[in-house]
Amino acid sequence: MAAPQQREEKESEDCSLLPLVHDIIKCMDKDSPEVHQELAKLKVKIQEARDQISTMPGVDSSPLEQQQQLATLREQVRTKNQLLQKYKGLCMFDVPKAS
Amino acid sequence: MAAVEKSTKDRLLSVLEDLEVLSRELIEMLALSRSQKLPQPGEDIRVLELLVQRDQELQDLMEVAQQQGKVQEEMQLLEKEVEKRDSDIQQLQKQLKEAEHILATAVYQAKEKLKSIDKARKGSISSEEIIKYAHRISASNAVCAPLNWVPGDPRRPYPTDLEMRSGMLGHMANLPTNGVNGHLPGDALAAGRLPDVLTPHYPWQSSDVSVSMLPPHHGNDFGLEPPGHNKENEDDVEAMSTDSSSSSSDSD
Repeated sequence: MAAPQQREEKESEDCSLLPLVHDIIKCMDKDSPEVHQELAKLKVKIQEARDQISTMPGVDSSPLEQQQQLATLREQVRTKNQLLQKYKGLCMFDVPKAS
Repeated sequence: MAAVEKSTKDRLLSVLEDLEVLSRELIEMLALSRSQKLPQPGEDIRVLELLVQRDQELQDLMEVAQQQGKVQEEMQLLEKEVEKRDSDIQQLQKQLKEAEHILATAVYQAKEKLKSIDKARKGSISSEEIIKYAHRISASNAVCAPLNWVPGDPRRPYPTDLEMRSGMLGHMANLPTNGVNGHLPGDALAAGRLPDVLTPHYPWQSSDVSVSMLPPHHGNDFGLEPPGHNKENEDDVEAMSTDSSSSSSDSD
C-alpha cells in the first residue's frame, strides 16, 4: 500500500515545474552561465507535460461525465445479460443441420 | 442551462499554459529588477504565489487524470463485454429467425395437406364403385391380355381396323351418296335408323340393342317418311318403344 503512494508522490513531483523554476532563479542569483540551460530544461519539461497530457486515456471528458458513461455501460451490460438469460430460458427449437 | 463542464484534458492544458506564462513573467521580472536594480513592490511575490498555486492545481489535476485513466480501463473492459453480448444476441436472433421460417413452411404445408384432405372427402367415392368401374374398364381386356391369349391371336386391346370398319362409323362412311330414306349419309343418324345390312353385329349386342342405340326418330316431325317403308318403320319404332330391357348396361 505504501509503494503505490510513494510512486504517486514521485509522479506528482515529476510533473511539478517549481524545482526547475527554483534552479533558474538560483542560476540568475549566481549569474551562472547555466541559466540558459535551465531555461531550456523548463521549456522541454513543459512540452513533455503537454505531450503526456495529450496521450493520457480517459481525460477527454470530465470526471462526472466519465462516471455517467461508466454507469451507462454497466447498465447496458446488465440489460443485455438479462435479455440473453431470457432468450436462453425460452423453449428453443432444434434447427436441423442442412444435409 | 447548466454549463458544460470542461474536460480534464482542457483544464490540464490551461493550467500548464498559465504555469508557462507565470514562470516566464517571474523570470523576466527578476531579470529586470536585477538589471535595473529597482526593487519591485512585491509584484514578484504575487507572481510567485500564483505560480505555486497553479503548480498545485496541476498536480491535483494529474491525480484526477490518473484516476480517470483507471476508470477508462474498466470502461474498455465493459465495452468488450457489451460487444460480446451483442454478438450473442445477434446469433440467437438468427436462430430464432431460422426456426420461424421452418415453422412457417411446416404450417403452410400442413394447411395445404388439410385442404387436399377436405377436397378428397368432398369428392369421396365408395371403394365398391371404384372396383366395379375397374372391372368394367378391364372387361375389354384393354389393361391385361386374356388368359388364353397367345402370339398370333388377332385380338388387341384397342379397336382393330376390321372392328372399326364394321362399326357404325365405318358403315356411315360406306353409305351410298343418295342417302337412305331420302337422307344424306351423314344424316343417317338424324334419320333415326340404318338399314339392317349396315347394322354392326357385335357378339355382346342383340338386334334390339343395336336399334335402341340410335337416337329417337324424328323423321315424321318433318314429313320426310319415304313411301313404301312406313310399315317397317312403324314396326321398328314399336319394337324400340316396347323393348324396355335394351340398354347399354346389359353389357355388364
